Amino acid sequence: MNDATGVRTRPALADVAALTERLRDAYGDRATTTHAIREQHSHGEGLADAALPDIVVFPEDNDEVSAIVRSCHAARIPVIAFGVGTSLEGHVAALYGGVCVDLSRMNRVLQVNDADLDCRVQAGVTREQLNAELKGTGLFFPIDPGADATIGGMAATRASGTNAVRYGTMRENVLGLTVVTADGRVIRTGSRARKSSAGYDLTRLFVGSEGTLGLITEIQLRLYGIPESISAAVCQFDSLKHAVDTVIVAMQLGIPVARIELLDDVQMDACIRYSQLTEFAVKPTLFFEFHGTEAAVREQAEMIEAITAEHGGSAFRWATNPEDRSRLWKARHNAYYAAMALAPGRQGFATDACVPISRLTECVMETRDDVAATGLIAPIVGHVGDGNFHLVVLFDPASADERARAEALAARVSRRAIAMGGTCTGEHGIGMHKLDALREEHGDAVALMQTIKRALDPLDILNPGKTVPLR
Amino acid sequence: MLDPAFTSALAEVLPPSSLLTAAEDTRPYECDGLTLFRQQPGAVLLPDDESQVVEILRRCHAAGVPVVARGAGTSLSGGALPVVDGVVLSLAKFRRIVAIDADARTAVVGPGVRNLAISEAAAAHGLFYAPDPSSQIACSIGGNVAENAGGVHCLKYGLTVHNVRKVRVVLIDGDIVEFGGESLDSSGYDLLALITGSEGLLGVITQITVKLLPRPPFAQVALAAFGDIEKAGAAVGAIIAAGIVPSGLEMMDQQATRAVEQFVHADYPLDAAAVLLVESDGTPVEVAAEMAEINDVLNASGATEIRVSRDEAQRILYWSGRKAAFPAVGRISPDYYCIDGTIPRGALSRVLRQIETWSAEFGLRCANVFHAGDGNLHPLILFDANRPGDQARTIEFGDRILQLCIDVGGTITGEHGVGIEKIGGMCAQFPTPVLERFLGIKAAFDPDGLLNPGKGVPTLARCAEFGRMHVHHGQLPHPDLPRF
Repeated sequence: MNDATGVRTRPALADVAALTERLRDAYGDRATTTHAIREQHSHGEGLADAALPDIVVFPEDNDEVSAIVRSCHAARIPVIAFGVGTSLEGHVAALYGGVCVDLSRMNRVLQVNDADLDCRVQAGVTREQLNAELKGTGLFFPIDPGADATIGGMAATRASGTNAVRYGTMRENVLGLTVVTADGRVIRTGSRARKSSAGYDLTRLFVGSEGTLGLITEIQLRLYGIPESISAAVCQFDSLKHAVDTVIVAMQLGIPVARIELLDDVQMDACIRYSQLTEFAVKPTLFFEFHGTEAAVREQAEMIEAITAEHGGSAFRWATNPEDRSRLWKARHNAYYAAMALAPGRQGFATDACVPISRLTECVMETRDDVAATGLIAPIVGHVGDGNFHLVVLFDPASADERARAEALAARVSRRAIAMGGTCTGEHGIGMHKLDALREEHGDAVALMQTIKRALDPLDILNPGKTVPLR
Repeated sequence: MLDPAFTSALAEVLPPSSLLTAAEDTRPYECDGLTLFRQQPGAVLLPDDESQVVEILRRCHAAGVPVVARGAGTSLSGGALPVVDGVVLSLAKFRRIVAIDADARTAVVGPGVRNLAISEAAAAHGLFYAPDPSSQIACSIGGNVAENAGGVHCLKYGLTVHNVRKVRVVLIDGDIVEFGGESLDSSGYDLLALITGSEGLLGVITQITVKLLPRPPFAQVALAAFGDIEKAGAAVGAIIAAGIVPSGLEMMDQQATRAVEQFVHADYPLDAAAVLLVESDGTPVEVAAEMAEINDVLNASGATEIRVSRDEAQRILYWSGRKAAFPAVGRISPDYYCIDGTIPRGALSRVLRQIETWSAEFGLRCANVFHAGDGNLHPLILFDANRPGDQARTIEFGDRILQLCIDVGGTITGEHGVGIEKIGGMCAQFPTPVLERFLGIKAAFDPDGLLNPGKGVPTLARCAEFGRMHVHHGQLPHPDLPRF
């Protein structure tokens, strides 16, 4: 609801009460106003800026989502889609209250077309669940943001992950969507065909729109054949610069590495302690993974080894069997928790800069110096193959000064990336925490994004206040 | 006819040589590659730089004059067809390659730069621009972005939308915006994807940053013959299902190979009902491994003969037939009509069989030459416009094929765009709520509907009136241009 000055305000209590009543009548146990459930749905895994929804509803099919959104539309009450709550930028906080639509019961894999290498899933399917259900088909879904996020959430935030360098992000891997629009219509975008020149690219417009243009309920995804051979290797460096330079050369040569992850010495220290990676030294480190035929994997690895040697890297430590590999990647995925464990009692949040690969060394080195000057603990970890890296910035929640320094550091990281032709977010999204950075990055194009938001959600009921706020 | 006051306003912005109003000067712009539709514009504007584009659009906006942006004019769907009482805004002079950054693997180019010119300029760095539409020696990169152009290599390297990093756009009110960024990802709504393939309806692109890729050191192509077209279709599916991503996977049926053989002697097996061309690129080790896999799949799929190019000369020879297929077909028939539907690959055999049946039913020959790996069909319906009834039956045949594409989960255009040609087909493919969103987006960018009106997205009123599939016959100009 908007007041006379155009400022978005909470809807009237009586309207919320009436809608809540109606939803409870319609969905029974599947509509709850319990405080604990509302609290659980008020935040993701980033900083807790809890803003509770008035009610959480658990629909089971497109028609139910459509009916809920129609009710919200009629009453002009906010509606916020929720997967499993692993987002990092406050995407699900109900800033103006309203209805949280938890899609976790829409968790069916609807179709697997192994000949066409695609599948259709409901939004609440998680990526690990999907890969478990694909077992036996010889296919897999590669996008891996670390968390076991839902496919719907990954599409909504345009997630990426450790192997984007080879397989792309959700932008490249979503072929089509079913979306419930602001007025409760159910539309399908895209098709199972691999290419289309018909009409505007609504699929990619909804991908990354963070629930502000429509609620994604089904996703058509690209799948890939499980590579004949997979092997992983670890290489350690005496200098961070040399590690990053290695990545740049590898990328410029176009070597199709499946993953390249950078961990600086601080992060490596954290991972060694947290995940007992005792065979490694506290040094800047690259994790590599190679996919392909046996010959291709061998060849890629040889090329990379030659480059690392030129940059003063250690001999490769190989992990060819699945157990060793998964131990390494688990350690990588736990990097955030490992970093948090460096300083118990502190809170942390992740930055998400992504720059052109040619500026990567400059950006990483400047960022490291910047961290050192702040006196904060903020290890560096990232999918550097696509120019994307994170700081896990730790701060003492009891110290206003420290929090301010942490936030200022994060703002500088975004600004630095943008100044180098990059972006403030490679994969986490804008949510509620990067609104200023979005403006800095896109300038006048933000006004156009607002016009599109207004065109597709004129009443501003879809996840209001996020991504591209109207006011 | 433009208001003389408006023409004077344009003359404040453009020198006389860049402002064409005489009928004999504007005639070359009356159509693009789809020659069935012709319309002379009120004026043709040939700005030299972005500031002129800004001033032109401001004046058009103020005066309510429609604007049709135009690149090289090779569109096959009438995307650059002028509008009565409107202007054609040609970006032909934006031919500068502004920068090539070999480290970042990007090129910054003007929209008028030819597609192939980018790869030629990048070759010195061992890089190339991957999307390679048929007309790449002539078509402009601005037009490629506007149409989301494809080509043979997009199976492995993606469409235009996957290979553009950033665009600079002048909006109808003269504001300049940039979409995308120089890094792999960008934040906020994906306006870059939205403008890609938008057919000049949302803004005028004045600069493009494209992604460049390292030129693969080696490539080989396998030519496989099949005794029936369904087996060839199934082989395409089997290759993809085996997890192989060839750099090209093209199919030609016998109608096409016979036409080609008379024309360029590409050494195709003429007794085969269909041939596949399957290309692998990469390091010699990768190519050898992939070729072995491809060979196994082709054998298992019932190929009657498989030849692998011995050397670069033979690889080029095998491709020469594919590239010459359209003009070759043009030699065996007075007219032909190229269809551009895309289907899920699994439906390939079924759709090809149905096309064969209809070909017999209509008494019209149909040559199939297409991007099989993407499921992008280009059936060429052969007809004679001078024979009574041929054209009507051709259109009916084409309608049926496109309706079938929609029915099996595909789309009415894989890479040629909607333009004016398929505006009716849009009503068949998209239900009203989706069309409403399209129109909402259009209105967000161009509320007065001045940019390329009548193209791309039909009005709801139009769909109500012409609900059925409605496509038209178009003759191909420049039949000598190689086309895929």
